[in-house]
Amino acid sequence: MTMKKIKFFMLAAMTLLAGTSFTSCSGDNTDDNEEKYQDIVLQTVKSQKVNNQAILLVAFGSTWPEAFNDFDETVEAYKKEFPGYDVYISFSSAICRNRAAAGEHEEDLGAEKRNYYAPERWLNAFGKVEYADITVQSLQVIPGEEYGRVVNALKDFANNGYNDLRNDYLKNVKIHLGTPLMATGKDDPDDGETDVTKLADELHTIYGDKANEGAMLFMGHGNPDEFDTYSANVRYTQLETALQKKNVNYFVGTVDMMENFKTNVKERMQAAGYTSGKVFCAPLMSIAGDHANNDMAGDDDKWELNDDGEYEETSWKVYFSDPLGGSYDCSGETMIVKGLLSYPAIRQLWINHTHAAQEEDLDWFHSNDGTE
Amino acid sequence: MRQTLLYVITFCFPLLLLGQTEGNETAMKEVVVTATGTSHTLKDVPVQTEVISRKMLDNFGGKSIEEILGSLTASFAFNEGDMGSQMQLNGLGNSYILVMVDGKRLHGDVGGENDLSLIDPRNIEKIEIVKGASSALYGSDAIAGVINIITKKHNEGLLVENSTTLGSYGDVRQHNGLAVSYGKLSSYTNFHLQRTDGWQNTSKEHTSTFETPITDSRSMTVNPKTNWKLAERLTWQIFPGIELYGEGSYHQRGIFRPQGKYAKYDVTYYDMRYQNASAAVGGKWTMGKNLLTLDIDWNKHAYFHEFTSIATTEGIDKNGNFVLEYPYFPGQRVLQSDQQRFTAHLKGVFHLPYHHLLSAGMEYRYDWLKAPTSIEGREANDNTEALYAQDEWQTRLGKSVQWHVNGGLRLIRNQQFGWHLSPKVSSMLSLGDFRLRATWSQGFKTPTLKEQRYRYVREMTQIILFLGNRSLKPQKSNYFSLGAEYTIAGLTLSVTGYYNRLDDMIALVTIPRSEAPSQYIQQYGETLNKVRQYKNMERAKTYGVDATARYVLREWTFGAGYSYLDTQAEVYNETTHSLDKVVIDGMAHHKGNVYVTWNHRFGRGYTLGAGVYGRMSSKRFYQINGDGKGYQIWRLSTTHDLGTTGKFFWRLEAGIDNIFNYVDRTDHGLHLGTTTPGTTVYGTLTIRFRHGKNLKNNYKFNLKNNDNEED
Repeated sequence: MTMKKIKFFMLAAMTLLAGTSFTSCSGDNTDDNEEKYQDIVLQTVKSQKVNNQAILLVAFGSTWPEAFNDFDETVEAYKKEFPGYDVYISFSSAICRNRAAAGEHEEDLGAEKRNYYAPERWLNAFGKVEYADITVQSLQVIPGEEYGRVVNALKDFANNGYNDLRNDYLKNVKIHLGTPLMATGKDDPDDGETDVTKLADELHTIYGDKANEGAMLFMGHGNPDEFDTYSANVRYTQLETALQKKNVNYFVGTVDMMENFKTNVKERMQAAGYTSGKVFCAPLMSIAGDHANNDMAGDDDKWELNDDGEYEETSWKVYFSDPLGGSYDCSGETMIVKGLLSYPAIRQLWINHTHAAQEEDLDWFHSNDGTE
Repeated sequence: MRQTLLYVITFCFPLLLLGQTEGNETAMKEVVVTATGTSHTLKDVPVQTEVISRKMLDNFGGKSIEEILGSLTASFAFNEGDMGSQMQLNGLGNSYILVMVDGKRLHGDVGGENDLSLIDPRNIEKIEIVKGASSALYGSDAIAGVINIITKKHNEGLLVENSTTLGSYGDVRQHNGLAVSYGKLSSYTNFHLQRTDGWQNTSKEHTSTFETPITDSRSMTVNPKTNWKLAERLTWQIFPGIELYGEGSYHQRGIFRPQGKYAKYDVTYYDMRYQNASAAVGGKWTMGKNLLTLDIDWNKHAYFHEFTSIATTEGIDKNGNFVLEYPYFPGQRVLQSDQQRFTAHLKGVFHLPYHHLLSAGMEYRYDWLKAPTSIEGREANDNTEALYAQDEWQTRLGKSVQWHVNGGLRLIRNQQFGWHLSPKVSSMLSLGDFRLRATWSQGFKTPTLKEQRYRYVREMTQIILFLGNRSLKPQKSNYFSLGAEYTIAGLTLSVTGYYNRLDDMIALVTIPRSEAPSQYIQQYGETLNKVRQYKNMERAKTYGVDATARYVLREWTFGAGYSYLDTQAEVYNETTHSLDKVVIDGMAHHKGNVYVTWNHRFGRGYTLGAGVYGRMSSKRFYQINGDGKGYQIWRLSTTHDLGTTGKFFWRLEAGIDNIFNYVDRTDHGLHLGTTTPGTTVYGTLTIRFRHGKNLKNNYKFNLKNNDNEED
């Protein structure tokens, strides 16, 4: 008997044995889940709809307890500021959505359900209940790649991405897009007021004392080079310039922006003659999550330079306290692990963007049925 | 300190009593089969074999394989969690340990961990452990060693037995057996059930310094779980010397995870479910002292996520497309992986002239994997054919001097990796009461289908993409050991030193994000924190010394084991492009176990057995998330054979584990030395009904002690 025949025999026997065993092994039928899921979002919107205008806040999301508090406070602040609007918040990250929806909050009677659906799902449901006015507010800091996703979600909505909204409705609905915290900025802060200079003012109010006491470092996220589609990274540099106008002790670095890692921050500090003393660090991010707790204030201390010249696995805290990073007075004491949304004054800057966005109607509708 | 003293006294006690003993070499007459695939008494086996005998198992009353191996030997370590038992043998993990039941490899894994709950701990005749590579005989996986679990064989006319254990933390273990023999036909039906409520050693989470501390986490140390298995075996003594059998089993397991309110820490959105099934036919043909066996078997191990809340994750939409965000609803069971295996194994053992014993065989193995959302291509298969031969030769060199040489060679042909030869040579010199053993063996392990094809995202605190690697090479190892054993009267002492070196070790390493498939980059963008891929990047070596002592004095048995281990792995550093030296996770330099048992018959109606057992480990080292604390745990087991009433036999067992209530309360998220919940108690009632005479069984290939019931 050739090997092929043996194999055939064995496979046949295997199929027979498999066939006679239980049938439930392939799992449940989940074919209709997509429709069912979208319907749940729709029912949620139906149950919460009070007004004819909606605001959708879009954050990347987080699983950190402190971040949830910041998001909660932000939603409350929006409700107060925009009384005629229904306010929703969404996470663009699936992991954050899944974890938020799974907690005991869902089980506890009367407790809130933390259903942070994806922005696309909310918008589709808004379209189904036909909100007359929809504002999407990005909770991003720079107009980078994540903001690009927010733009796309709104464009898909306007273009009937799921193909289940009435074109008549889409033609008439008013849509607005609130830009990120540092949507505008200029290389020279004296060229006029921009988002960057406004943020610099607020940061200086909050962190001015620290900058008097030592170097005050901000850690932004930044886009890695290949994704910096909107040239958003430059905002960090512009912010540093604006802040240094107020106090030369301010520095703005990032986790992911080329040539603006903590190693580059140190070079700038030393070039400015800042070679000893206290180093404070705070995240320049909407909430304090993984990056703030680990990359900035964590204990990672693998001193390995990556190809981009950054000690990726060394936290800012460890880096600046070590001789290799400058031997500054930098420790847990000088880490300020608070997200920007936790400061009402900075939250107000986002709120101002929302007001501004509502001044302008976006004309993004193009019918997909060939009628327009 | 007091406990250390107790340890020393217990360990030395047998030595003090030396010379006062009457000979008792029962233990060394135990027949073992795993090391060579042929039957040898423990004293004559050329490769050092550790045996956990039926008597030890009976005295110990262990509720699981993990508990038995962890307590009755010094070489194993476990850290039971959701992802399996995290078994280690002399520093290497489960994927390097071949677990067999009656010589057949246990099927199915999750993350390289076998499901040891497939084994009914009350249906074990004995456990044989052979350390080091055994690929020449058993093929892939046998790099750290082989555990062969030999089940009880029943030849009663009618036997019905039930053994039920109740213990702390809602622990329920039930073993039910029904053996029927009629003429040349016999049947054994086995049902076993295990469940626990799980426990929580701490409600504190390991949090960042800057977070509000979490002290009311619901994360459990061991989650609630339930499993049961139904198995049936039919044997037919068709002619004298020829026996045929057919068997099948079905097993289910569920692990349940309570939900808390801290998304990052104690929240999950699915539970785990497992289904396992098997079917086999085969036969044995004994021709005088020679033997032929044929085994054909099929196994299936399926792993599901059962969603507990609404979640979107990888899935197949209704048009059959793979999508990264597909919604699921509570209660839906979604297949993660279905591993099926088909094997056919023909083996012969032949006594040749001039004291040669030849074992030769051929094996065909076909693996099939279906994992719609987590492997590239959704399905994959692999097959391997093997031919192997082993010759054992022994000669007398002088009065009470014997030399035993054993050489084996396995030739495999794998569909993907072509041809490979794995040799093993071992030798034993018996000098009266001394035996010296030496082994060199090569291990060989082809990459698993999962290691080659994985492609899925796991959302822990970070988003991590796991990738298989189609260009993996097989892992190879060289194992050397040298051992001495001394037996006199009731005392057996053994010391074995070993060195195991692995090349082309397969491990997950972090690779640049830009190497991720474009679909994932588009979906997750720069939020994809890490990309980890299986690579042949590492080398590793483990080396150490194992020592055991056993002393039997009338009704007493004293035993102790000690294992010294050191490991060194070289991990490829993608950043510096160099090899970093690291320990293998979970390594402890010192591990030990010790026991004293006493059995006494008080007349016909009552036999008491009592045993004190200690297991201890020094600190366990890990690369990240802290080291596991060293521990020392003591157990008292008692057995009460209440004799027979008519055809009924009654037995009670009761015991306390972890008498001194040791609990590792390290914050959740960091490594524990041991997951024990502290002091637990258990009680077991066994009722056995027996009717009819034992069958005379012509076939006793491995000379298993069939009349093993003491009643």
